[in-house]
Amino acid sequence: MSIQAQTRPVSDRPARPAPDRALRRAGRIGGGTLTFVLLIIAAVFVLLPLFWLLSTAFKTPAAAFALPPKWISKPTTGNFSTLLTGQFGHSILNSVIVAVASTAVALLLGIPAGYSFARAPVRGGRIINSWFILAYVAPPAIFIIPLYIIYQHLNLLDTYYGLVLAYETGLLPFTVWLMRVYFADVPRELDEAAWIDGCSKMRALWRVVLPAAWPGITTVGLLVGLASWGEYFGAAILTGQRTQTAPVAVYSYVGTVTSNWGELAAAGLIVVVPALVATIAVQRGFVSGLTFGAVKQ
Amino acid sequence: MFDRRFFGLAAVPAFLAVFIITAVPLVIGLGLSFSSVTSTHNGVFPLTLSNYGHIFSDSEVHTVLLNTLIYVVLAVGLETLLGLGLALLMTRKNRAISVFRVIFLLPLTVAGIASAISWGALLNTSQGWIDYFLKLAHLPQPNWLASPTTAMPSVVLVDLWSGVPVVAVIVLAALLSAPKDPIEAALVDGAGPWARFRYVTFPAIRPALVLAALLRTVAAFQQFALFQVLTGGGPGLNTTVLNFYVYQQTIVFNNIGYGAALAMLLLVVMAVPLVVLFLYSRRR
Repeated sequence: MSIQAQTRPVSDRPARPAPDRALRRAGRIGGGTLTFVLLIIAAVFVLLPLFWLLSTAFKTPAAAFALPPKWISKPTTGNFSTLLTGQFGHSILNSVIVAVASTAVALLLGIPAGYSFARAPVRGGRIINSWFILAYVAPPAIFIIPLYIIYQHLNLLDTYYGLVLAYETGLLPFTVWLMRVYFADVPRELDEAAWIDGCSKMRALWRVVLPAAWPGITTVGLLVGLASWGEYFGAAILTGQRTQTAPVAVYSYVGTVTSNWGELAAAGLIVVVPALVATIAVQRGFVSGLTFGAVKQ
Repeated sequence: MFDRRFFGLAAVPAFLAVFIITAVPLVIGLGLSFSSVTSTHNGVFPLTLSNYGHIFSDSEVHTVLLNTLIYVVLAVGLETLLGLGLALLMTRKNRAISVFRVIFLLPLTVAGIASAISWGALLNTSQGWIDYFLKLAHLPQPNWLASPTTAMPSVVLVDLWSGVPVVAVIVLAALLSAPKDPIEAALVDGAGPWARFRYVTFPAIRPALVLAALLRTVAAFQQFALFQVLTGGGPGLNTTVLNFYVYQQTIVFNNIGYGAALAMLLLVVMAVPLVVLFLYSRRR
């Protein structure tokens, strides 16, 4: 570090030395215009379905099907009021309950375990590690379908407990794994200093280590929350009338005889917006979380 | 200094919970795969190998496996390549580029079911916007989701929508955090753009790229919402991949035992590319 600082005199900075400019040019592929054209094409592709959701959600049934598409029609909130007063309102509540409960359970059990994994030599750690990876990458069908059979016998089908438990098969290993990465970034000296000052292990974790690992915790919370909020496969199999979550309810609007794209889009939008808002609110560390902390932001 | 009891107590609940909720279904699933539980036969016994025998002899399974291979290779391959390209386009820092960076972050937050319904509507043949615009431009309007030739490519296209941004965002983060000095050195040494990418940039981002490909492979094998909403596995068996087939056999047709055996097959099939990618990431 210090050697580099010496070879690059501070006085050069305002003048922008030549290697720097060439370096910046080397970073991009092709000319500026081509880059822009390609990025705009990609952006149109990305924004198209989101624009469809947003515009159709506020259209009357007739306008929703109109071709050519009506860009500016009288927006109506009718779709939302129909949805929210009907069964869909109940489904959103179910989704909130399941997402909050799944996230809470994952963090409550996963944070202490991740801390322990980061700090203490765990006997059989490699085996536990591999098991966690297997649990996370295994297709949900591996767990969900036997659970469906088990739940039939235990009367756990169409219950919140059953669904949350099924979600933890993937979410809990993910949480432990990621929390371990984040705790490993917190210097050990921090806990040790707190212990020397007379803190109990619990107090040191609560007062010193957790605040230091807070960005990691919010990231994990966001990712786990997003995953359980939008989950479809398990919910489609394990829920029924009573605990049907919003994504499953969205599907029930597809292809029915009285199909109304306005309501369908509004339902989709209601699933999308909270996730978007939560991501924008937390944002930091999103990428490092996605990659198990392997890629720093 | 070291408190074995505290760390033990902190770790045990989660480890125990994970072990129970994964091992129990796994063992029961394995047991069911040898059983003959169907809609008409409720008993688990006798345990036989007949489900596995059926898998190997059933030509439907062969079609499904081929579909799975096509889907995973196309989706992961294109997502990795296009994601890498997109990331390289966004390395420059200015205001316009930061807008694009935000735009390409959006699909990462969108639930699969929401992207599925939007694309289903957009690709609809009589009412969809896409065919409408193709018609205006006097271009052919394929029967996107209902024709055997375009159904699978269409599902892959929709998978790209969520997958390419994932790869791009991960690779971009790696690109931006890569040290600048080696590129500088390569420039001084007179390396051309391709040589700089091949020998300097690529090695620096390879771990991130492999990780992104791994994540997309896992996602591709687990893909369910797109198939159910867009094609229902059709036309015919054209877009029925293994994960969807497991669902159909167990939940729809109630062939529990057979479906459980297919789920074990899914686990084995999925392990192959994951191990390959993992070994590639270890190679120097």
